[in-house]
Formats: sequence, C-alpha cells, structure tokens
Amino acid sequence: MAKLRLEITKGEEIRYISHLDYASAMERAIIRAKLPVAYSEGFNPHMKISFASALAVGVTSQAEYIDIECKAEIDVNQAVEHLKATLPMGIRIKGAAYMQGNVPALMAIVNLATYEITVPLLAEDIGIIEDSIRWFNEAEAVLYMRESPKGKKEIEIKQYMAKPITLTALEKAVRLILEIRITPTGSIKPGEVLGALVAMFDLPVDIDNLLIHRTGLYISNVNRQVSPVEL
Amino acid sequence: MITLDPAMLNRVIKPARYTGNEWNSIKKDHDTVSVTVALSLPDVYEVGMSNLGLKILYQILNNREDTAAERVYAPWVDMEAEMRERNIPLYTLESLKPVREFDIVGFSLQYEMSYSNVLNMLDLAGIPLFTAERDEHMPIIIGGGPCTFNAEPVADFFDCLVLGEGEEVMEDIIAAVSSWKKAGKINGRSGILKSLAQIGGVYVPSLYDVTYHENGMVAEVLPNCLEAPLIVTKRVVKDLNTVEYATRPIVPFLDIVHDRIMLELFRGCTRGCRFCQAGVLYRPVRERRPELLLKMAKEMVESTGYNEISLTSLSSADYSCLPDLVDSLMGELKEQGVSVSLPSLRIDSFSIDLAQKVQQVRKSGLTFAPEAGSQRMRDVINKGVTQKNLEDAVSAAFQAGWSTVKLYFMMGLPTETDEDVLGIADLAYKVLDLYKEIKGRRGAKVTVSVSCFVPKPHTPFQWFGQDLASEFERKQQLLKARLRDRSITFNWHDARTSFLEGAFARGDRRLGQVLLKAWQNGARFDGWSEYFKYDVWMDAFKTCEIDPYFYATRHRDFDEVMPWDHLSSGASKEFLQREYEQAVTEELTVDCRREHCSACGVCPGLGVEVLDWGSRA
Ligand code: SF4
Repeated sequence: MAKLRLEITKGEEIRYISHLDYASAMERAIIRAKLPVAYSEGFNPHMKISFASALAVGVTSQAEYIDIECKAEIDVNQAVEHLKATLPMGIRIKGAAYMQGNVPALMAIVNLATYEITVPLLAEDIGIIEDSIRWFNEAEAVLYMRESPKGKKEIEIKQYMAKPITLTALEKAVRLILEIRITPTGSIKPGEVLGALVAMFDLPVDIDNLLIHRTGLYISNVNRQVSPVEL
Repeated sequence: MITLDPAMLNRVIKPARYTGNEWNSIKKDHDTVSVTVALSLPDVYEVGMSNLGLKILYQILNNREDTAAERVYAPWVDMEAEMRERNIPLYTLESLKPVREFDIVGFSLQYEMSYSNVLNMLDLAGIPLFTAERDEHMPIIIGGGPCTFNAEPVADFFDCLVLGEGEEVMEDIIAAVSSWKKAGKINGRSGILKSLAQIGGVYVPSLYDVTYHENGMVAEVLPNCLEAPLIVTKRVVKDLNTVEYATRPIVPFLDIVHDRIMLELFRGCTRGCRFCQAGVLYRPVRERRPELLLKMAKEMVESTGYNEISLTSLSSADYSCLPDLVDSLMGELKEQGVSVSLPSLRIDSFSIDLAQKVQQVRKSGLTFAPEAGSQRMRDVINKGVTQKNLEDAVSAAFQAGWSTVKLYFMMGLPTETDEDVLGIADLAYKVLDLYKEIKGRRGAKVTVSVSCFVPKPHTPFQWFGQDLASEFERKQQLLKARLRDRSITFNWHDARTSFLEGAFARGDRRLGQVLLKAWQNGARFDGWSEYFKYDVWMDAFKTCEIDPYFYATRHRDFDEVMPWDHLSSGASKEFLQREYEQAVTEELTVDCRREHCSACGVCPGLGVEVLDWGSRA
C-alpha cells in the first residue's frame, strides 16, 4: 500500500458544490485516470480516499488535501499527469508526494486554516471598518449563536482565532484575512466570524455577497507551521 | 453572459444546479457555429439531467461543428424567486447566455404534469408564450418526448413538436434552420415553420385548424397549408447499431435521480400491455448488438468515471443475450470496481438468478410489477404473468436471501371490480405466506404501491373513461382496510393528480387556456406533491368554462375523432380497437418479438423490422 497525498484546489468554477460533491468528483476523476486505487472490502466496496477538512458550499480553496491509497506505487509525476487530464474544471493539482510509513489521517493532524473573505462595503469611510475589526480583535470573548437544523448553540469565537484579523481595502470592498484553529472539540466557520462582526461589531458590509476563499491548511505548533504535503 | 450574484447563489438550496462546469459539458464559441440549441426538460436539474434522450441529443448535436447545444432546466421555486427579483432571465448552464438568444429551444415532454413549467420557463426566459406572438428573432420552440403524441393542450405554445426518436430528425431540423438563417431568415417565421413541417415526424400545430362539433367533440383537424401533411407519422431509427449514443454523458457534481451509466440495450417493448403507451410509441423492438454494448460500456466507464452501469430499456430482462452480456460486462469491468444493475425485473426465476448474479443490493429489496391483483384483470391488460410465475419468482427471491419485496399495481383498469382490487391484497398476503413456508418463520416485508390508472392516447384503452377521483379513493380505502398486516406497507397515488393528468393526457387544444390560467395563478412543479395546487387547476377550468370530466372520465365511442388522430405512432386504430375488444373478453395477444406478428401496422407502415438477436440465432 502506498499513500499518495495531493494538494489540490477548488476553484471559482465549482464554488457552489458541496464537500460531498467535491469528494465524488475526485473519486470519478481517479477512476477516469485509472490510478491503481485501493477499495475497502465488503459488500459495498468504497474507494480509499480521505480529505483534510470539509469545505462548505460557496467556498473556494487554493489548498485542499486528499490522501489516495494505492495498490501500487506508480511514479508521482505520471500519476499527476494522468489525473490532470481527468480533473473537472476548477480542480488543479498543486503538489503531490507519497507519504512514507504509517502516517496519521489528514483529518487528525490539520489544526489551522487560513481564509480570505472578500465582501462589498456599505460605508465609504474605511475608518469605521478598521474600528470594528479592532474592537473584535481586542475583545476577550465573543459569543456567537450557531443556528443549525439541530438547534441553537452558543459558541465562544475568540478561542478559535489564531491571530488577529487583518484587513485590506479594495475598491468598494474589503478583504479580511483570518487564521482559524481547528481543534478536536470544534472550530468556527469564517462565515460565522463575519456574521458576528456584522451583528455585534457593526461591520458595515453586504454580508449576503461575501466570497470566502481558503488560502491554507496547516499543521502548526510552537516551532513550525507546515502544509500537509511539506511533512 | 449573465452574472450570478453570490448573494443569490448563497441563499438558494443546491446552488450547483445553476452553475454548470460539469465534466463532459461542452462550451463552444457561439460565433463559430451557425445554430445554437438550448436543450431542456421542464423540471428541476436532478430530473432533467437523468433523461437519456437529452444526453443522446446533446452529444449528437455537439458532434456537429456547426451547432452548439447547451442545457437549461427549471429553476427550483427559491431560485425562480431570486431570478425574478433581480430580473435575471433564464440562461443556459454552458455559456450562461440568455435562452432567449438561442436559435432553438427544445423541451423534452415526459409527463403532462410538467406543462406548467414549460410556460414558466418561457416566461422566465422573456420569450412570448404563444407561437403566434413570436417573430423571427425569437427562438423556435420545439417539443419532443412521449407527450408529443398528443401535445394538443400545449399546441398553441410550441412552434413544432417532434414525434418519435430524435437522433435523426434533430439533424434534419438543424439543417433546415441553418439554411433558413443563411438565406437571411427568408419568409420570416412562417418560412421556417413551413419548411420544418415538411420534415418527417415534425408536427407544426399552427399549420392545422381544429373544428369542433356542438357536443364539444373534435370534428376534424386539417392542415391549413400545402406544406403540412394530413397525418404526421413518428420517426424511428431502423438500426440502433448505426446511430450515435451518449458515450460521453455529462457527469454532474450533485446527486441526480439516475446517477450512473445508462446502457440502453434495446428500444421498444412488444409484450403488449394494453395500458402502456411506451409499448405502442416505441415499436418495434430493436436490439443493440452485444459486442457494441460491451464496447460502449467500456467507453462510458472511461469517459465518466462512474462505477455503476444500469442496463436500461423498457424491459431489460427481455434482451436476447442478457446472461452473456452481464457476464462479459462484469468480467471486464470488475477490476475497476464497476457494478451492474437492472432497473426492472421480469417476474420469473430467470430474473432472480440475474439479480443474484449482479449482486443487487439486498437491503433495497426486489421490485416487481404484476400491475393487477387478479388473474382475470391481468388477462384484461395482457400482462402475461400468471399466479404461478409470481409465486416462483418470489420464492426464488426468498430462497436467494431477499426478504423485502416491492409490488407495483394499478387500480381503475377497464372492467375492474372490487374483487379485482382486493386481489391485490390477496397477492400481498400470499407473498408473506410464501416466505413463511420457505423460511419457516415470519419476516418478509412487502410494499404495495398502487397508482391510479390514467388512460393514455395511442393505447388500446384510449377510449376508456377514467375512474372518478372519488371512486379511486373508495377503492383505496377498501384495500387499505384489507392490508392491516404490519409487514405490509401500502402506498397509493393522489387521485386528484391522476385526474388532472387524465384530462391533459387526452385533452385537446382548448386546454391551452386552462393551462395558461392555472400557470398565471401559480401552478408549477405539478408533479411534485408539495407544489401541486388542485384548487388552482379546478378554478382555471371553471374560469375557462371547460369541463375536465369531459376529457378524463368520459367513455369515447370507437368512431369518435380523437384530438390526436392526425398524429401517428404507426400503430393503426384498428389494431388498438381490436386490442380493446380482446381486453374485454380477456383474450391474450402474443409478443411479436419472438412469436408471430400481431399486425399493429408499424413495421410495414414505417419500413422497419424487429431486431432481436436471440430469435434469429
Ligand atoms: S408490425 Fe407486427 S412485428 Fe411489427 S411491431 Fe407491429 S406487431 Fe410487432
């Protein structure tokens, strides 16, 4: 068994597909590419692939990671070439490497995600924006009500913020950079952070028209921060 | 090109329905082609994307250098609201161009309950609804699919309707439209309509006038110009081995209804069930060669990456070389993790053996369609299945390890008595008993699904008056009272939906007003029970002073002129009448696929023949 790890993208073309759709798109591309992928045993065999972290509908990414278990170790470049020809629009391969030895699952090791949120401004004065971001960054704790079909749940956001939010002014829009911790007990979505900024810190943006882009997924500790393919 | 706001797409459910870019979708520069076609099915993406006919046409049309074919489906109600609010016109998924800018818009009409969506889509596209209101700058609106054999209720909205199989006729239509455009759209709208009317299988409703008797029945339907033929006869592909197939179908991102490879083994089914419209419309049986099917299957696995192949046909188990085909498919594709499935099972032990071979998922159970509960009733409808066939099939299934069985029936068939209805319950109990006999304990689960019979045009039962909704409901209660066992689940269809379907299935042009009114008052997605607005429809009938019972529940005489008598499937009216008379006397008719011809008229009339590899080996 060989584990092929790929760094791939989810581009603008497929922004609105779900994580499940994204996973099956990869599965089908792997079949088309005829990679020697492994299947589980049993009555309903499934392809042995796994992802680092689910990406929501409406979010693009330049750094997704997938592990593909292969029955044979074919040349990395060759595997990449085959797969490139069969990937749908919006998925590109940025990096590839075989993982040696018994590596832990991507899911279990990735603990930091970085995002860019681009959102149209509803105010002219950039000062207002800067103030509201600063208040958020300086707050001790921010309580946010997560609503899901399962019910309501109050979450403290700041525990998940790895760094203060930074901002860049664009023409009639603003870009926020977020670094969010992924912990064994949970995390916060970038859209939820923006929701809190609008609701509690009066950030004057058109939240309906937000665009979220994931810029990185990392394994981070006090000493270093690396991406899953740099391991 | 239309720009789609993130705000809109962030808000609707399943936004990927509206953003395209799927694998195998084809984008062409419209400046490099002479004809652009928007292919549509007037239902939501997941349903429209599952239609085999459109997949085939998409490939055939895009194979042509001079044509760009794209897709558009009905936006779900949430998306419709967003589009209307933002004035976004209906657009295609490939180029995101307004549908209004295309040369041709083709709708696949699979069921009558999708008609309101056609009007809604035209309106969303900014295309005038009536053919009479459209000038030569507007797209040509074409309908295809089984409903065209009596699309009189939508005749005023369509420029032309295509009868029969689309592979060849669509190319003729493209050629006609292309030369009309090259000649500067000569003679405008009427120029192209008249030239289309001369293509075999193409019906241009505006070139026909309908007159009515005082009692409301149709007097005659006659062409109003020389170009239109007296009778329009369906198109049929002589040999499926020589036409293009959808070997590079689009692979959607989101789950669709049939999310797998569809391998069409053959077309047509001549078992001769007397209620079945498809059985008449797609005559005769024409099989593809097994070698070709195997080659197609391999190509499709390679081009799609799907890991399941469904053997699609009206009755797949009837394919003459099925066991060999299944063996070779499984043999050659197992390595790649590809499985084979059969969408429908014939009621015999042969089918059970096959199902076992392809290891169809056990938990989902096996589905059979005896269609009627009593032997007498099954003889009436010419469903050549005996009590013994059924018992054998079910026993074989239980012995092979299945314990869940789904049974499909209809109620409201001609000559039906309460005893026949209760026969459905007897059969369900018999199945439970069989399990006990074989396994020595209880434990089988039976689902009984009963639909309300809707008489369809071009079938032997086209003269038969549908049961009243109240009668359906009474029979449903009768059966429900008898099916009290906890191992039996009983599902039935909404009688009111079937009543409306009944009115439109055999309706005439006057129903166009009713459709318009109902759509204006909010009717859409009528095939979806949560959106079906019965009252809106009944109000529309009332406002238009049209009686739905006249169409749905009235018995016709054999000599009445039917609104679709000028539209021919190739099967003669004499044949249909003979079949109705034999139904009443409970006489069976054999399958012409492997036994003698029952003289329906299709083969000599259309110059085609049965192609069945088993019968000539
Ligand atoms: S003409 Fe005869 S052989 Fe041909 S479809 Fe009709 S019944 Fe069958």
